[in-house]
Amino acid sequence: MSRRTYLLKRVLQAMFSLFIIATILFFLFRLGLPDPTAALITEGLNAEQREAVRVQFGIDKPLWHQYALFLWNAVQGDFGVSFAYRAPVAEIVWERLGNTMVLMLTAIVVAYAIGVPLGAWLSWRRGSRIDTVGIFFGLMFRSAPMFWTGMIAILVFGVWLTLMPTSGMRTLPYEADGFFDKIFTLDFLWHLILPATVVALYYLGSPLLIMRNTMLEVYGEDFIEMARAKGLPERRILYNHAARNALLPVVTQLAVTIGLAAGGQVVVEVVFSWPGLGREILNAVRTSDFPLAQASFLVMAAFVITLNLLVDVLYTTLDPRVSFK
Amino acid sequence: MILSPSLREAFKPLRLMLQDRLAVIGLMVLLFIIAMALFAPVIATHPPRQINEVEDGSVLARGPAGWMLQPSLGPVALNGAAVAGGQALIVGRDGTVYERAGQDWAPVDAGTGADLNAVALRDDGTVVVVGAGGTVLLRSGGTWSEVPAPAPADLRGVDWLDGAAAIMVGAGEEIWQLDADTGEITELESPVGRGFSLRGVARDADGTALMVGERGLAIRYDPASGDLELERLGSSRDFNHIHISPAGAALVTGERGTLVRRDAPGARWETEPAPDTRALRAGWIGDDGHAFAVGRNGIVMERDTEGTWRLATTESERHLRALLVEGDSALALGSDRFVVRLAAPSRDYWFGTDHLGRDLYSQNVHGSRIALLVGFLGAALVVLIGTNVGLVAGYYRGRTETILMRTVDVMYGIPFEPFALILVLLFQPSLLIVILAVSLLTWRTVARLIRSQVLSLRERPFVKAARVAGASDLRIMYLHIFPNVMPLVFLELAIIVGVSIIAEATLSFLGLGPPHSVSWGGILHDARLSGAWRTAWWWNLPPGILIMTTVLSVFFISRSLEVVANPRLRARQ
Repeated sequence: MSRRTYLLKRVLQAMFSLFIIATILFFLFRLGLPDPTAALITEGLNAEQREAVRVQFGIDKPLWHQYALFLWNAVQGDFGVSFAYRAPVAEIVWERLGNTMVLMLTAIVVAYAIGVPLGAWLSWRRGSRIDTVGIFFGLMFRSAPMFWTGMIAILVFGVWLTLMPTSGMRTLPYEADGFFDKIFTLDFLWHLILPATVVALYYLGSPLLIMRNTMLEVYGEDFIEMARAKGLPERRILYNHAARNALLPVVTQLAVTIGLAAGGQVVVEVVFSWPGLGREILNAVRTSDFPLAQASFLVMAAFVITLNLLVDVLYTTLDPRVSFK
Repeated sequence: MILSPSLREAFKPLRLMLQDRLAVIGLMVLLFIIAMALFAPVIATHPPRQINEVEDGSVLARGPAGWMLQPSLGPVALNGAAVAGGQALIVGRDGTVYERAGQDWAPVDAGTGADLNAVALRDDGTVVVVGAGGTVLLRSGGTWSEVPAPAPADLRGVDWLDGAAAIMVGAGEEIWQLDADTGEITELESPVGRGFSLRGVARDADGTALMVGERGLAIRYDPASGDLELERLGSSRDFNHIHISPAGAALVTGERGTLVRRDAPGARWETEPAPDTRALRAGWIGDDGHAFAVGRNGIVMERDTEGTWRLATTESERHLRALLVEGDSALALGSDRFVVRLAAPSRDYWFGTDHLGRDLYSQNVHGSRIALLVGFLGAALVVLIGTNVGLVAGYYRGRTETILMRTVDVMYGIPFEPFALILVLLFQPSLLIVILAVSLLTWRTVARLIRSQVLSLRERPFVKAARVAGASDLRIMYLHIFPNVMPLVFLELAIIVGVSIIAEATLSFLGLGPPHSVSWGGILHDARLSGAWRTAWWWNLPPGILIMTTVLSVFFISRSLEVVANPRLRARQ
């Protein structure tokens, strides 16, 4: 199989996955909320608006018709109007997605920038006390639930030391024209530090341990023996020969992590009142704002699938041994 | 002991595990947590949902910053106090009497166990104390004696009159006069005679006694003539207490914020507007009109000499029942049973209490149950599904594999946390839904891993040999291949137990956990909802540490299992 057909096949598979997920999503919501407008009577939706919603989602039509309508709208990128915000869902979702990604990407970059070299170093010092301590802390941060570390961080840095802001992305009230105007400020950075640190600490463990374990496997390979025999310095073997070859699983993990990042860490966004997609989906489902909930979920799924696809493509370039089957 | 080689081989992974110090620690911690879950009702000091109340002899002292809580006098409520001639006495439930000794209060044994309600102190140090069940105690010359009462009346108030006489009133409209010299009690007949409860009595400036009671009842007694007459105070609320200053300023306090005041003997009684409408149990007024009133829920009111009542700042919500004013210093005393809200860790509540007065130590102990239940059940379900899918897909290959693995691919596209949220929110939270939410997606990893192992195993000679020997597919899969992926299965089991515990905690933290259950995430959910977590550190710390310790112990075990499952890691350690 040529590379091109392989890629084409993977893209088709990804689209198929997304289609299946959209289908599951549709039936899950119909099962849980048979008439989405019913939940809104108390919200003060008047008869006219209710009727508009019913038409848009085709509530009166048979189930298969609603399903087709849902798919058709989704393909066109029309997710309807949010019940709670009275605004097009797509706009809300994109804005929240941006907020989430800023936080998660910062945290992930920090975690991998620290975790990968640290893991390589630990593998070099394998069996030593430093190795044990490193593993211990890596696993410890991974075991601590983030909503808890977040609360403790707020308690210590926000309440006791009053060093950091503890909620939101900016000090209220603020004015910003668009997304980048909002985030390219010191005030935003100041708000970012605490939540990003909490997430980064949680993520730190996986690059650290994966890197360490893969390095241990790579050390057994012949080319390492060869490098040693050539009399290369240990440090150079570590970083130039072993680490490079151990990076592959870390890259995979990185892409998977970024993919899942769109789903955000719901609890971190809740604890720090970060207006991200995760918190939005929680609120949307709670308030039965189901156009918003559906769209958020679909966007998250699309993100994960795209990143997973990217991993596979990346693999074919990074590791020529991978066969296109 | 000689073990057969195959048995020894089977125990080899265990031996390897025991060589890893972190794994041994993890195993011990996990066993400890399991024991905690199993014996939770025995280990817990309180039922986890019980709202704890305590009674306390609370003292609040008036200071520049408000009324501050002083060290408690003991575990019983204080009902009455008196000060005169440099001495001071406090009486309370269960026969409790405290006498001031320098800066402190010393308990005094008055020889009774009855609840004591009121005390009167004469300048010469003679004391009369009254209480429930017709208890009348007299202290003269330093010795306590109990005066025989004509009836087991619930006596509420007492005061000295001129000479050796003391007057006391009871809840059944009893009005008794005590002669302290002879120790005899004379029953006086009330002019009402309908059994109204009389709750307070005070000597007026002219030597008469004024007693007050329920429904605005006020009776004046003239000891000289022996007359008892009704007096109108202009209110029909229930009165609780009366205090009259030496010069004759008087303050009557009562239910629903009732404050009735008189400037001087013979002046009109006036009902004053109170800044709060809760029950007032005691009052004090000075000759210049400066006054205090105290009541339930830590209410303390202060009246300046201009005549305005204000609510004073108080440090606690204890129920106040008596006032002790001497010069510039003032103490408010009391406390019924009150809920121990947000108490810091103490001997009774090791991890403190939450906003509803529930013991946090017991909640944390019980929380281990749901964590381990969801953790292990969820992980078992995940491993069961994942292993079987992996086995079947890897063994049969072909179309079966394609369908199963495409399903797994699709599942990899679903973000875990939002999916679990939606599942729990759309279908009412229950233990089953929470376990499903935790495990319905996670089996994807197990299935992929097991399949890749099975793919290589099925081509091994022993599988081919079994097939040639005529073994069925099921037999090959479960008897020949499965034992070879066992280490991997256990490794995944351990990791997923950890993941499930965190997932359950996360759902509970968002308020979506199994209903009516005590869980670690739920404790943090309560803490966050109440808003008190920003001050009550004892509320936040333990559940998180417990979650972390449990998951960490499982991860330690999984790490050594990884060494068992992957010999390549083993060789170089």
